[in-house]
Amino acid sequence: MIKEQLYFKAKSIEEAIIEANNHIANFRYIAGGTDVLVNKFQGNENSKMLIDLSGIDSLKQITIKGNQVEIGALIILDELKNHKIIAESFPALFEAAHAVASPMIRKTATIGGNLLCENRCTFYNQTEWWRKAAGYCLKCDGDICIATGGKNNCLSKFISDTAVVLISMNASIEIFDNNQTSIIPLESIYTGDGVNPRNLSNSAIIKSIFISNDEGFTSVYKKLRQRETLEFGSLITAVTKSKNGKIKIVLGGVDPKPIVVEGIANDDLNELIIIASKKARTVDNDMYSRKYRKEMISVYLKRSFQELGLILP
Amino acid sequence: MKQINFKVNGKHYGLLVNSHEMLSTVIREKVGLTGTKIGCEQGSCGACTVLVNNKPVLSCITPALRCENAEIITIEALAKDGKLHKLQEKFVEKGAIQCGFCTPGMVMTALSLAPTLNKDEGLESMMHQIKDGLSGNLCRCTGYKKVIEAVAEYALEDANIIEKPKKPIETKSVGVSRPYIEAEKKVKGAADYADDIVMKNALHCKFLRSIYPHAKIEKIDTSEALKLEGVHYIAIGKELPITFGVLPISADETAMAVDKVRYIGEIVAAVAADSEEIAAEACKLIYVHYKPIKEFLKIDDSLNDIGTNEKIHAAGKFNNNIHKKAELRFGDQQQGLKDADITTKMSFEFLGINHGFTEPHAATAFWDENGLTITTATQVPHYLHRALAKVLEVPLNRVRVIKPYLGGGFGGKSDPFPHEMIVSHLARKTGRPVRVRLSREEVFLTNHGRHPSKLSVEMGISKDGFFKVLDADIAIDGGAYGSFGIVTSYYNGVLLQAPYKLDNFGFRTYRVYTNKPQCGAMRGHGAVNSRYAVESLIDDLANKINVDPCELRLKNFLDSNTQTVGQYRITSNGSRESLLKVMDQSKWNERIGKLETGHGLGVACGFFISGSALPIIWNELPQSVVHLKLDFDGRVLITSGSSDIGQGSDTMLAIIVAEVLGISMDKIFVLAADTLLTPVDFGSYSSRVTFMAGNAAKDAAENLKKEILDAVVKAKGINSDELNFGNNRVFSNDKTVDLSWDETIEILTAKRGAVCVSGKYISPKLGGDFKGAGAGLSPSYTFGACVAEVKVDTETGHVKVLNVWGAHDCGKALNPMAVEGQLEGSWHMGAGQAISEQMKYYKGLLLNNNFLEYKIPTTLDTPDIHANIIETMDPEGPFGAKESGEGAIHPVIPAIANAVFKAVGVRITQLPISAEDVLAKMKENQISKEN
Repeated sequence: MIKEQLYFKAKSIEEAIIEANNHIANFRYIAGGTDVLVNKFQGNENSKMLIDLSGIDSLKQITIKGNQVEIGALIILDELKNHKIIAESFPALFEAAHAVASPMIRKTATIGGNLLCENRCTFYNQTEWWRKAAGYCLKCDGDICIATGGKNNCLSKFISDTAVVLISMNASIEIFDNNQTSIIPLESIYTGDGVNPRNLSNSAIIKSIFISNDEGFTSVYKKLRQRETLEFGSLITAVTKSKNGKIKIVLGGVDPKPIVVEGIANDDLNELIIIASKKARTVDNDMYSRKYRKEMISVYLKRSFQELGLILP
Repeated sequence: MKQINFKVNGKHYGLLVNSHEMLSTVIREKVGLTGTKIGCEQGSCGACTVLVNNKPVLSCITPALRCENAEIITIEALAKDGKLHKLQEKFVEKGAIQCGFCTPGMVMTALSLAPTLNKDEGLESMMHQIKDGLSGNLCRCTGYKKVIEAVAEYALEDANIIEKPKKPIETKSVGVSRPYIEAEKKVKGAADYADDIVMKNALHCKFLRSIYPHAKIEKIDTSEALKLEGVHYIAIGKELPITFGVLPISADETAMAVDKVRYIGEIVAAVAADSEEIAAEACKLIYVHYKPIKEFLKIDDSLNDIGTNEKIHAAGKFNNNIHKKAELRFGDQQQGLKDADITTKMSFEFLGINHGFTEPHAATAFWDENGLTITTATQVPHYLHRALAKVLEVPLNRVRVIKPYLGGGFGGKSDPFPHEMIVSHLARKTGRPVRVRLSREEVFLTNHGRHPSKLSVEMGISKDGFFKVLDADIAIDGGAYGSFGIVTSYYNGVLLQAPYKLDNFGFRTYRVYTNKPQCGAMRGHGAVNSRYAVESLIDDLANKINVDPCELRLKNFLDSNTQTVGQYRITSNGSRESLLKVMDQSKWNERIGKLETGHGLGVACGFFISGSALPIIWNELPQSVVHLKLDFDGRVLITSGSSDIGQGSDTMLAIIVAEVLGISMDKIFVLAADTLLTPVDFGSYSSRVTFMAGNAAKDAAENLKKEILDAVVKAKGINSDELNFGNNRVFSNDKTVDLSWDETIEILTAKRGAVCVSGKYISPKLGGDFKGAGAGLSPSYTFGACVAEVKVDTETGHVKVLNVWGAHDCGKALNPMAVEGQLEGSWHMGAGQAISEQMKYYKGLLLNNNFLEYKIPTTLDTPDIHANIIETMDPEGPFGAKESGEGAIHPVIPAIANAVFKAVGVRITQLPISAEDVLAKMKENQISKEN
């Protein structure tokens, strides 16, 4: 007989946690599920139990709390456009959300889910049969990285579009983990290890995302991809300038974690680009070559600086 | 298993589902509504879109259990009280439906999109919103143009911004735009495709596929798998050892690998089980011991002597993996090179291209007192019929092949396939129907797509701009088996002998076997890549002699009613009209050379066969036979073996018969592609159906007309040449005879009953008598031209194709809307090969075997396409018609590349055009300029 699988649709965080604790070794949360379920189809996700969070209504609000905007983790990407506050104060976040996958997926995928999107690699995002034929890589319990031939590091790409913008705006997240709720910087959850790209426990739940509403952020978001829809980023960039002249550069798609470089408007911006580029451990795990993606970091960042009025076109 | 309660289309269901089952399979398999399609299983194609609580979702990645108590709406609920929804009506009216497989998903997405459109910011903005909103729904047939138009018109009419135009009453048949006869069925989700037809008590089949590119099979142990409850039979290669292949001269494939595997993905064993899940689980329990041997993955490796290694196929005199060498030479190329004032030579490299049809292969087979019946997604029921009889060792009269509605082919369903042999075998062994549906990954592994190729091509020209010589050296990568490869080898070369006058022309093609999924025929078969090379060279020559590339082409076109150097008989020829049309429409003369850096226009032309004049299996059968039956009810039944694969051939047959008999389309019924019931037609390949089946239908209709005339003449004592057929009447000019169709039929069938007639098409004897003269022979040829407009980002190298103006000489458009659809689809597909599509391998393993990484252009990536039909009234085509399904793809790819050259001075010699390559070459140019 084929083994029985389980599914639970939680109505509250508490319910989800109880169920998670009951199946601690073998479950997976899904929100929209658009990432997890494809990975499941390909055999990269084999949890016996799925705990569906999409019915938890308390995580579906956008509210203003003092100088912070709080975005519930289960806000559907496509629904961000219905919130004036996002369109007006954080247009780059809206742009990033709109650049995720395809319009159909954006109607199901959530912002919290997007932050937790699994890292990707040409040699990993394949079916079980394919990975067996290729020889399993580090990320699926093999002992070699097919992209580099190395044995130590998995450099699968971090590819969350919204996280790149959010980190550039110093966003923090409220997270329920180990029986307590805490607020931590979003960027602190990404480890840089391609196999375990986030330091959250299996049963952690992101409840909401906070962005400061009074720092005068202006951001530019860009995404390298071959087609204008459907695709994960081969390079994702966000540059945010705040009213006090601080600049924060974030790169996605070129390293197992978001690459962050901070500076101020008066800095030698070329220097910042070089630093960002050097930090990115980009490998040939994408349909675009490593070399090209590296080269584009500079082009994309220069364009972003121009659009922010930091350098002349 | 868990119980779920929900409403589907207003009806309550309480169903037991597997806990991780997706909504798409529950709707299809348990609710039984198959209008919702599964095209990719990974949320990349949109074919499975349904509404859940009024919100569109991709049902293939939606857990069914999430939908507890939900209201689900599928395509089947849209038409109400026997009337289509207005959006569906628009899809039908605008010709937005071809194969129809993506249609239900597209309609569901559009349905939820339309009310959200902001119509206040002008039409352009609204069109962009539509493109954006539909960009998660892939269509491979239409190029999206008519889909976008349908949605726009629906939205505007729905908001009362424009009024619905009144439908004119049509009394003519030929030359009138009309939807396909089955369009309503498709838009309602009621058309059954191969995987929609559920047989009672059917078993499911899954395959175990090789994980080695080249390996001996030392042992297969199925014992553990057989123990799994629900497994009924496991077949392995040696049970079906007889080889097959679409070409009898290279029937080199078996249903499953017998003692060695030749590519990663080759089927090694097949399981028939109670469910797909059990069959898949059983495959994992089959133990195969392989002994890997040296693999050959590159063209160059296969061209060379292989030393002591084992060849991919034992046959063949030489110690290499060359499958076929094709070489033909006409005139004197050495002299041509001497006569030329300027020559140019370039090398090109192309990766493989997959058809990307949205419907995965699927089939169901069963045996009864009549032998085998298989319902399968095939373009060639006739060749499959023969192959099944051979492999299963049964007489031809014990095999019946039925083609249901087909979700796109483009050449990718034109071979007999292993899965068809295997399910037939499993059905015989188990005594039960056996069904199979390939996953998208398996579709890519099955492949038969465009050959990766390497070309070195040389051309010479005189100072005054006449082509003096063309020489092409070609190597194509056939993958592990033969397929259409021998024909492909010839087509790469022979189809270069037009549309330009060439006295000195030659080519040599090597097709090699490699340990990769096999290549075969794909839209524009064989000549797409070599056409690209030649049109690039012509562009280069024009540049070198400083002549406008359009002028140069106009100067060198072949005339009508002439012969090529290789003895092709050219009859109608619309090259000139096509090129002049696109020059005019693109404002070529005003704009060329005047656009800023990064912005360019490019041009190219094309040439293709309108049906292969020779059969694949040599015999004396006509290329096509059509039967007509006319009974007391006045309806004409057309039976034809031709396969409508979404290109509209059933409608074409009806139009022709209606035209000849002067009756309306509602008096016609088409029954096609069932090898028991319909006479032989060779199938939908080589762009042959309109010309050949169309001519057979015309012949049959004329025979029927003769029967009717004889009866009326006899009954009314009138001369037959005084009688006319039209407007559902038979009448004389003086109206002494003026019969309604029913009255006419009464006369015809009196004391006789139903009248059955037959019509046929046999190609005339054509061509020279040298070896290889038959390659590319066709009773007629088509011609065309494209101008493309691109913008190149000079800092990133990214190419955006803005516009394609195309013109194609189809002889006569029997159904202009359908012809436009073919052209728009061809140019969309060509743009895909130009800018984003490729089959990329890692050690023989296809890296991008899904619709996320195999990059078919979406609505947002597809240029604005401007289609022009050029009519030249071919003397032998039915009512002057020629093909329009394939030839149009040839000019678009080089036109795009030539536009890139104009934009940034970079000559593209590799496809797809990669931003990286463009950027690198721009830098090289810059450096050489500076030096």
